[in-house]
Amino acid sequence: MSVLELDAVHVRLGDADVLRELTLSLDARTTAIIGENGSGKSTIARLVGGLVRATSGTVRVLGLDPVREAAELRRRVAVVFSNPDAQIVMPTVAEDVAFSLRGRHPSHPERVAAALDRFGLSALAEHSSHELSGGQKQLLALCGAFVREPELVIADEPTAYLDARNAHRVADHLFVDSGHRLLLVTHDLDLARRCEQAVFVAGGRVVAVGDPVDVVAAYERSLVW
Amino acid sequence: MTLFRPGDSVWHRLAAGPKAAILAVLVLVVSLLPLGWGWAAAVIPAAICLGCYAVPGIGMLPLAAELLAARWIILVTLAGQLLFLGPMAAAVNTTRVAAVIVVAGLLALTTRVTALLDAFERGLAPLERLHVDPRRVALLLAVTLNTLPVLARAAAQVREAQRARGVRPSLRRFAVPFLVLALKHADELGDTLTARGIR
Repeated sequence: MSVLELDAVHVRLGDADVLRELTLSLDARTTAIIGENGSGKSTIARLVGGLVRATSGTVRVLGLDPVREAAELRRRVAVVFSNPDAQIVMPTVAEDVAFSLRGRHPSHPERVAAALDRFGLSALAEHSSHELSGGQKQLLALCGAFVREPELVIADEPTAYLDARNAHRVADHLFVDSGHRLLLVTHDLDLARRCEQAVFVAGGRVVAVGDPVDVVAAYERSLVW
Repeated sequence: MTLFRPGDSVWHRLAAGPKAAILAVLVLVVSLLPLGWGWAAAVIPAAICLGCYAVPGIGMLPLAAELLAARWIILVTLAGQLLFLGPMAAAVNTTRVAAVIVVAGLLALTTRVTALLDAFERGLAPLERLHVDPRRVALLLAVTLNTLPVLARAAAQVREAQRARGVRPSLRRFAVPFLVLALKHADELGDTLTARGIR
């Protein structure tokens, strides 16, 4: 089954055509989406995450319609955003991770503890979420996403607010194969090259899809000052 | 912002619902003590306060911290009462106000937000017949509490940015960028909640 199938998808937000007749089929375990600011990368991520509706065209994520099968999509897909502050919902680290499982898994303390351990946050479990550093907050956001054991993780510029060390830590966690697929929107071309597949988007259209080295090279050639 | 302090006191071990009910009764007792009882109307609330905090696992330090946090409310109450009602009424009423604040504070101090949410949901469950969604109301409460430190940080960012650009402080110049930041945060938080499966 394909991770993502877009067929002639058009997205209009306000007066702007953000995605134009986009047709795309992705089935690699890790896919990067690259392109300039305003190219439509984040809109693709939001479309796949069910946060934006297509104006026309067909969208299938893991075989699901993000609008009609939204509840199932939420169960199987996790989204991580760039701003760590906006992803904290609960006051302590452990409670924020547990929030992701609220109403779903009755035996969640063990799962929360295991997730905190995996992301190196066990010692901070009772710590205030808002007093964490930027890197720790983004690890917490990842932990909150991965504790649900999603089939697909959508990460929209997850390292944008981070220093080099924390960006590496976050990226390493994203790329560890825990049975999930990864759709990574990024400006970091080194991260894009680590993926199995890359998509170059410009002006709401796909310019290139394929081997990340070739796609990144095509993107770099397009950057003419 | 987290008011909860991990511990193993009798208050920590008590379930959130019964604990809230006990504390509510204590707050009512303190509030309804007749002023005609004289100094006893001040001594009883103070004794209730001390009794609530003087249990193994809590102690007087958190009580002092709660009183310190409420110092402006206490001082304003005391000043107003002294001015209009005289020393005894001022002492009695201020002690009661302080006692109500610190006794109610025990709930947040000894209960995890998740346990409070669960209790809140259970408490509101009968309202489901009236089409009130208890889960949504409880979540609203949690998100509101949790947004306060984010907004405080946004306010500090606006003030810093304005100082850096030499802008004179004014309510209007502060309010517009602050509102923009607050709305942006609300948008992003909405996306986060949707992505985490909250409808």
